Amino acid sequence: MKMENAILIKNGFFFNSRQNKIVPGDIYIENGKVAEIGKDISYAGEDVSVIDASGLTAIPGLIDMHVHLREPGFEDEETIASGARAALKGGVTALAAMPNTNPPADSEQLIKYILTAGSATDCRIYPIACLTKGQEGKEMTEMGILSEAGAAGFSDDGMPVMDGKLMYEIMKYSLQFGKPLILHEEDLYFSGPGLMHEGEFSTRLGLEGIPSLADEVMIARDIMLAEKTGARIHITHLSSSGGVELVRQAKSSGANISCDVTPHHLFFNDSILETFNTNFKVKPPIRSRADQAALMEGLKDGTIDAIASDHAPHLDTEKNTTFKLASFGTTGLETFFAACYTRLVSENGMGIEKLIPLLTEGPAKILGIEKNRIEKGHRACIALVDTDAEFVVKREDFISKSKNSAFLGLKLRGVVRYTISGGKIVYGKK
Amino acid sequence: MIEKAYILNESDMDRVIKRISHEILERNKGSENLVIIGLQKRGVPLAHRIAANIEQFEGNRVQTGKLDITFYRDDYDRRIKSDIQKTDIPFDVRDKNVILVDDVLFTGRSIRAALDAIIDLGRPRTIQLVVLVDRGHRELPIRADYVGKNLPTSRNEQVSVKLRETDAEDSVILVEGMEDAK
Amino acid sequence: MLSKKSILSVDDLDTGEIMQVLESADSFMDISRREIKKVPTLRGKTVASLFFEPSTRTRISFEIAAKRLSADIVNFSAQASSLLKGETIMDTLRTILSMQVDLLVIRHRDSGTVKLMDSVVNVPVINAGDGKHQHPTQALLDIYTIKNHFNRLEGLKVALVGDYINSRVARSCQSLFEKMGLEVTIVAPAMLLPEDWSGFKVEHSIDRIIEDTDILYMLRMQFERQDRKLYPSVREYNRYLSLDMKRLSRMKKDSVVMHPGPVNRGIEIYDEIMELAKEKGNNILIDEQVTAGVAVRMALLYLVLGQS
Repeated sequence: MKMENAILIKNGFFFNSRQNKIVPGDIYIENGKVAEIGKDISYAGEDVSVIDASGLTAIPGLIDMHVHLREPGFEDEETIASGARAALKGGVTALAAMPNTNPPADSEQLIKYILTAGSATDCRIYPIACLTKGQEGKEMTEMGILSEAGAAGFSDDGMPVMDGKLMYEIMKYSLQFGKPLILHEEDLYFSGPGLMHEGEFSTRLGLEGIPSLADEVMIARDIMLAEKTGARIHITHLSSSGGVELVRQAKSSGANISCDVTPHHLFFNDSILETFNTNFKVKPPIRSRADQAALMEGLKDGTIDAIASDHAPHLDTEKNTTFKLASFGTTGLETFFAACYTRLVSENGMGIEKLIPLLTEGPAKILGIEKNRIEKGHRACIALVDTDAEFVVKREDFISKSKNSAFLGLKLRGVVRYTISGGKIVYGKK
Repeated sequence: MIEKAYILNESDMDRVIKRISHEILERNKGSENLVIIGLQKRGVPLAHRIAANIEQFEGNRVQTGKLDITFYRDDYDRRIKSDIQKTDIPFDVRDKNVILVDDVLFTGRSIRAALDAIIDLGRPRTIQLVVLVDRGHRELPIRADYVGKNLPTSRNEQVSVKLRETDAEDSVILVEGMEDAK
Repeated sequence: MLSKKSILSVDDLDTGEIMQVLESADSFMDISRREIKKVPTLRGKTVASLFFEPSTRTRISFEIAAKRLSADIVNFSAQASSLLKGETIMDTLRTILSMQVDLLVIRHRDSGTVKLMDSVVNVPVINAGDGKHQHPTQALLDIYTIKNHFNRLEGLKVALVGDYINSRVARSCQSLFEKMGLEVTIVAPAMLLPEDWSGFKVEHSIDRIIEDTDILYMLRMQFERQDRKLYPSVREYNRYLSLDMKRLSRMKKDSVVMHPGPVNRGIEIYDEIMELAKEKGNNILIDEQVTAGVAVRMALLYLVLGQS
């Protein structure tokens, strides 16, 4: 049999999902799959690409369940192709694309378009469809047709469904299709013209505040609705201690609920806004030190199931303006692993074996998609990371079309050296 | 700094100031219409001493004021002063004979600034300049009307004036030192 | 000499520097009282004042201050709404800087924008008010007015009354007054206060402090900065927060009333008190604040330009 894209990763360590630990071992990849794992594998042959992984660790390809690819409609900020390349550079081999494009992904055609464009990339793109038509919060979408077309979940990300009765109906109907409802929780009356977390710093800086209550009253509402209907809900980008606590209680009372948090909410607190740097203008806002600590606690005790980047590319003109006029959002794909590793492992002493599932199995389980395990017979989606190396986040190093990163100028630990997707080396030196 | 020469002691200074006071009265034919303005900071006590002498000689007290020239300097860019001293001229200078008093006359730039400052307050009849020491090195066409002591100096010498009101003793000493920008 | 290039916030000055500003202002106050109200100090310097929010008094105050120091001043006014994207603001800034100005005085409708602009220019910037954030020259002229009136600062009791949440003046004054040893009480209802005011001394009605306060500082109700109507009615405001004759008569004998202007007559301060304020010898310092404004801004221009 002809060997196709055979890769041998030698002299490194890898994450063994069954033992849940990092162990030494070589990995042989053939025909897109992990063919063998073991000690001192040697395959001579011209067709085999050998990677010397000394000092590197092979981890499953990361799954980022919250990404804005901007296509169609905002291709000057990002495209499916450019976003996929940025993902692969960050070690991400699968991602969920949020539907707030123009037009929003509320139709079968658009879901199919995203799947087609996604399949031309080396990253797996899972389209998320709108909860409501045009994300207007008025009428639910054709959830059946969209599910069949390939939507991995439903979300009106960025535009919460303010109509509680409509959300109730959506939840009831969603049970038929088993796809998660990914909820951006924000009461628009509470958030109003808010620009940052409401607290000591918003008062001092004279920036309109977004209280934690803006998230929390909606989380509470949707938990009640989910408990009543039994729907599968996922609260995305949790930001406040109250939000963590609501999910914790809902889980303990048996609700079918999961949640994620972003690296930037873990990394920063609202004191960073003193710079008025618009790259820290995100939604939900970066909250207080106490909220930041509660998010960490939520990760540690298992309340939070996943970390997702909420990669939100924006043009310079949308960020290089007054704080009030600037758009919300930070990019996150290319810094995804490093930001998480630096914050959680280096700074907070979390074991890497605890971090990896939050970036792989956690989101896979929520979306019901393939888990990228490094196991014989699994599709070979692997990131090779150097957890001893540090780098400074520089504007010129980004390959995403947008450079609006909250991490610019920071020194992070954890460099992705190679990314292998579907058995091909798609990032790194060949 | 090395002291090179003792120029005036206390009694010298007293004599010099008395002599200048007489000269002022002589030239102005008395003390009528005279006002005396001392330049901050050592011109101010000198102005008071002259006023006291005149009172002693003539029996009437002439008005005195103090002037800070910070805002009129031509070297604002190079030396900003944050301890701006008080300008206090509690009388109208219009049509007065203004006796302007400073301790050392050097480049003439402070006097240029002082002339502008006084003229901004009103149009005096005359402005006459008193200095305790004229050390030369003028950079502007300015001369003193009354000089306590003409003292040829080199640029790297300094003239140290001490007055009992500000420095607890009366003395003028020539010292070796860095070029003074006064 | 000041340690910071620019004055963007009252926090950019330490207490020593604040005293230096106040002392310099004394000298400039003298100049403003002369017949020839002008000194040649800043001859040849060009100041550009950029106002991205309508203002009359602050702009004119800076203009007079610059002119009394013999600086040339040019004014640029634009509605922030006509400059929607940052590119345009930055372009405006670049254009003005290309004309070799030595100092910028900037006011902007949005918090943080003056800081943003300062970060991209190398000439000093004086913040003339940004959004709800800071208005350092107002706070400095207020503390100067207070110091002139009382001849001391330490221990004076000041009440900031009214629309705290929307007021850059309140933020600047609160922080500067506390730094200079005054005791600050905020008098405001919950909806005009920040969400968390646990660090403040707060009262909800002017009647609670009126007899005990040295300085009654009335904040302007910032209707133009309220995103939604935050107060039920003027009548309700009058009930708890306005200064009327009756309340004025209950104030301590040597206490004073201040307001950053312009006064909403009948809201913060009743008409008849404003009429009374025209007469000499009362303790309503609103006009004194305006006069002090010129001297304090002269002092700042002098000290800020002196370091460049």
